[in-house]
Amino acid sequence: MALVDLLLVVGIIAGVYSLLAIGMNMHWGDTGLLNFAHAAFFAVGAYTSAILTTPPATGSLATRVVGFDLPIVVGIAAGTAIAGVVGVLIALPSVRLEGDYLAIVTLSAAELIRLMIHNEAWLTTGAQTLKNIPRPLDGAIPFSYDLFYFLLVWAIVGVCYLLFERLSSSPFGRVLHAIRENDDVPLALGKNTYMFKLKSFGIGAAVAGLAGGLWAHYVYAISSIMFLPSITFLIWAAVIVGGAGSYGGAILGASVVVGLRQITRFIPGDVPFGDQLSYIRLMIVGVVLILVLYYRPQGLLGDAERLQAGTSE
Amino acid sequence: MVLDPQLIWNGLVVGSIISVAALGLTLIFGILNFINIAYGDYMAAGAYVAWAVNAQAGLPIGVAIVAGVLFMSVGSVVLDKLVFQHFRTRSPITLLIVSIGVAFFIRNLLRAIWGPSGHFYDLPLEANPSFAGVRFSIEQVAIIVASLLLLLGVYVMLRRTRIGIAMRAASDDRMLSRIRGVDTEKLVLYVWLIGGAIAGLSGIMLGLDAQIRPNMGFTALIAIFAAVILGGIGDPKGAVAGGYFIGVAQEVSVAVIPTEYKFGVGLVALIIGLLTRPDGLFGEATR
Repeated sequence: MALVDLLLVVGIIAGVYSLLAIGMNMHWGDTGLLNFAHAAFFAVGAYTSAILTTPPATGSLATRVVGFDLPIVVGIAAGTAIAGVVGVLIALPSVRLEGDYLAIVTLSAAELIRLMIHNEAWLTTGAQTLKNIPRPLDGAIPFSYDLFYFLLVWAIVGVCYLLFERLSSSPFGRVLHAIRENDDVPLALGKNTYMFKLKSFGIGAAVAGLAGGLWAHYVYAISSIMFLPSITFLIWAAVIVGGAGSYGGAILGASVVVGLRQITRFIPGDVPFGDQLSYIRLMIVGVVLILVLYYRPQGLLGDAERLQAGTSE
Repeated sequence: MVLDPQLIWNGLVVGSIISVAALGLTLIFGILNFINIAYGDYMAAGAYVAWAVNAQAGLPIGVAIVAGVLFMSVGSVVLDKLVFQHFRTRSPITLLIVSIGVAFFIRNLLRAIWGPSGHFYDLPLEANPSFAGVRFSIEQVAIIVASLLLLLGVYVMLRRTRIGIAMRAASDDRMLSRIRGVDTEKLVLYVWLIGGAIAGLSGIMLGLDAQIRPNMGFTALIAIFAAVILGGIGDPKGAVAGGYFIGVAQEVSVAVIPTEYKFGVGLVALIIGLLTRPDGLFGEATR
């Protein structure tokens, strides 16, 4: 594959991760909520859209009996919405919990969702891959399809960036920031902080669902092992490296993390340690995360003032 | 419904492993006040080092276990000096995120050195005896005995030794214990030595019961968290009770729900536990 094609693929992955990081930044950066369920929202978006846009599986070995063959736009929109609903459902009982407790409960809830995807074959094809997910405008693009998808994903990232920046500086966003600083204060001012946290969780989860839909329709085939908790942790690394509280930082951080992970695609396979490179690059992500937290705790683009907030007990 | 004794036995084995792991995690939390996401990867590292000594170097399993435990004990202190120490004045959330970085590093280091696929300890093959209709392996008996000995040892240590009493004091009120002359740095050193050793041991136990894989500890982490939280974060007694509860509940549930969902039992127990008793089984409302 030519270098440009590889770069486009990396760019598409970076765009999808940027959307995930935007959602996470709404939770942690804006509201100070420790969400560890992001991979599950990503999965819900991907599976919802895939199930809605493909027909039921056929043939003697078919396990999936549900499928709707609807247009892709419907699938992605529904995936976004349902991921948001799942986010709210997880938040309903858990969002009142203190920081680290919330982290563990959301991590557990995410694993429960993955377990269901893995086992409910009638709906998700279970442990097997859900294949033949349609690509938007497949065959109708006169130039490179990857270029089209790259532009599509990054256009959506751009729209989301503007939307979330606006939301963050709106009265709604200012209440979220107040919750992050000290949630007793907005409560004393008569704000229903619980409702605000639910909304923040739902909106952030919805963007992750959108990322899931875009991912599913790009890769043709999805399986439950694509949505391991390690995705959530990578997104955390992205948000922290980019700078919590900054949407530009979320996008930059996601691009850095994806870049670090994917850079070995450009290295020939016969270099020393070629087999280990994919693991070494993830070790590097870990080291970069720690170094950034040490030398530049506000992240690459984050606001140093943000550091005062959401980090207290 | 009659409970199958085999399932209870399986539950006790799994519960022993979770209890030991949860004890180590909760000791670290009690003194250092942060949730170490990398704990599961400490477990895996201990299991791998023991495997390397046992299967690769060909030494007896007993030697391998001691090597794995010592390695993680010292390794935890080294990681503290290299990483965690520099963040000690930062918030618990920052430390939690730092531990994500450490987890990435360890897990992928294990993959880079020993590959992504599973391994088994090199043990003499023996027929599994059965007793009163319960089939069991020598490894399972060893796991239960070792965990009971360890739990007893830690109990005595926390009750009788100076360092144990200092740990309990610091866990209760760090500021007050420091004012009363507890050497915090020395305490931290001991916590990592002991907590790391326990992590290594629980990882080896997990490897004896199943397969040794790079993500074995991380996968077990949710059940361990569930045990820690059910027992009340930072409460050793609670962690052990929570561990046995989760282990037995998970295995016995197989009688009523599909096997694939048994791991969900711990998660559901955790969520219900948090909603009804947010301070743990024996907890007082302190948090």
